[in-house]
Amino acid sequence: MRKSICILIVLVFASACKEKAPVPKEWVLSKTIQLDGVNPIGLTQVNGAIWLSDGDHNRLVKIDTEGKITETVDSLDRPMHIDAIKETIFIPQYGKDVIETVDKKGRFIMQVSDSLDAPAGVSVFENERAIADFYNNRILYFDGASWISFGKEGKAEGEFYYPTDVQITQDKIWVADAYNNRVQVFDKKGGFLQMMGQNQKMNAATGIFVSVDEVFVTDFENNRVLVFNKTGELLQVLKDQIEKPTDMMVKDDMLYVINYRNGKLNIFDKQPVVVKD
Amino acid sequence: MKKSIIISALLTLMVVFSAVAQEGKDKFMVQVDGLGCPFCAYGLEKKFKEFKGIKNVKIDIETGDFSFSYPAEKALTLADVEKQVEKAGYTPITAKVERANGEIEESSASEMTKKSEGTVSKNVMVAGNCAMCEARITKAAESVQGVSAVSWDKDTKIMKVSFDAGLTSLEKIEKQVAVAGHDTKNHQAHTDDYGNLPACCKYERLSYK
Repeated sequence: MRKSICILIVLVFASACKEKAPVPKEWVLSKTIQLDGVNPIGLTQVNGAIWLSDGDHNRLVKIDTEGKITETVDSLDRPMHIDAIKETIFIPQYGKDVIETVDKKGRFIMQVSDSLDAPAGVSVFENERAIADFYNNRILYFDGASWISFGKEGKAEGEFYYPTDVQITQDKIWVADAYNNRVQVFDKKGGFLQMMGQNQKMNAATGIFVSVDEVFVTDFENNRVLVFNKTGELLQVLKDQIEKPTDMMVKDDMLYVINYRNGKLNIFDKQPVVVKD
Repeated sequence: MKKSIIISALLTLMVVFSAVAQEGKDKFMVQVDGLGCPFCAYGLEKKFKEFKGIKNVKIDIETGDFSFSYPAEKALTLADVEKQVEKAGYTPITAKVERANGEIEESSASEMTKKSEGTVSKNVMVAGNCAMCEARITKAAESVQGVSAVSWDKDTKIMKVSFDAGLTSLEKIEKQVAVAGHDTKNHQAHTDDYGNLPACCKYERLSYK
C-alpha cells in the first residue's frame, strides 16, 4: 500500500512537470484602420509610434492608434520602404536617388558609395545599412566599415529583376526580388544562400519583413501576404482585408500590414488555430 | 466704371496669357503596358524627368494611361517618348500627341515598332507549366520570321524574345504562341488549341479583363 502511494505521488509530480505541447497559432485579423488620404508604401516605428511613407503625396506621416495623422515630414520625392533605428528614420527617395535621414537633429543625405537609380528600400541594423537599388538590379550593403554591391539583372540565383525591399538580420540579408516573384537570402559577403516563395505563384513580391521566426512577403497583385518559416516553408496565406499590400512589420506581437491602393492598415494577432469538425 | 474697365482688361489679358501658355505645350498621351504597382508608375515618372520642362505628369496604374505636357519648341517626337517608356522597363501600346498648333499625331504599338531599327528584346508573360511547354513556346516564337532568340522561364512565366523590329512585332509573336496553345499577356489561346495540349501542360488559364 505504502509503495503504491509513493508510485502515485511520483506519477502525479511527473505529469505536472511534463511540458505542455505548444498550441499551434496563426495570424488572425483583429482590426482594420482606414487612413485618411494616405497611400502607404512603407512603414516603420520610432519609440512605438508608427510612421508611414506616403509615396503618392511625397511625405512621411506619423499616425496614432486610430490612424489619425499627428506629424508629417514633407518635401520628399517618392519615399518608399523606410526603416528606423533609435529615433532616426531612413527614407529612400525613389525620385531623387538618395537616402535621407530624419530625426530631431534635422534632415541629412546619407553618404553612399555609388550612385543609385530609384532606391526602393532601405534597412538599418546596428551600424549596418542595405539599399535595394531598383533600376540597377542590385543590393548595396554597408557592414559598418565599407560598402559592397551584389546582384545584377537576371533570373538565376543571386540575380534580381527589380528588387524593391531589403532587410538585414543578425547574419543574413533578405531581399524582396519583386519581379522574379521570390525572396532571396544572402550572407553578409553577398553570397547567395537561399530562395523562397518561387513556387507560390506570386505576382510582384514587393515587400519583406523578417521577424524572429517568420518571413512575411507581400504578393502585391494577388492581394496576399505570405508567411514562411526561416527555411522557406509556407506557413500561412493572409488575405483578409488585404488589397495591394506593400509592406508589413511585427510590433508588440501584432502584425501590421498596409494596403497601398485603399489606404488601409490591417492589424493581425496570433490566435490558437481553431480545428473545425 | 473706370474700375470695371480695368478689371475687364486684366481678365482679358489673363485669358490671353493662359491661351498663349496652353499653345506653347504639346500634350502627350501614352498607354503603357506593364504598369502594375507604384514602383512601376514612379519609375516611369522618374525616367521622364530626364525630359527637362515636362509638366502635368499623370499616371493611372489601373489603366496604364500616362499623360504629360511638354514645351512645343522642343519638338519631342512619339518615337522619343516610346524609347523613354522602354528605357523605364515598360512597353508602349499606343501613343498620341496633341501639338500646340492643333495637329494630332497617333501611332499604335505595331507602327511604333516598325519605326525602330535593328534587334529589340522584349519580355512578355506566357502561361505554361513544364519543360514541354518551354519547348513548344520557344518553337512557336522561333517560327516567326525575324525572331533571333527566345527563352521562357517556367517559374516566372516570362518569355524573353529578341527580334528584328522591321520584320515582325511582339504582337505577331504572341499570336503565334497563342496558336500553339499558350495564353500570353495580350492573346488568349483558342479553347481547341489549349485542349490539344498534353495533360501535364494544362496550365491555369490567364484571365483577361
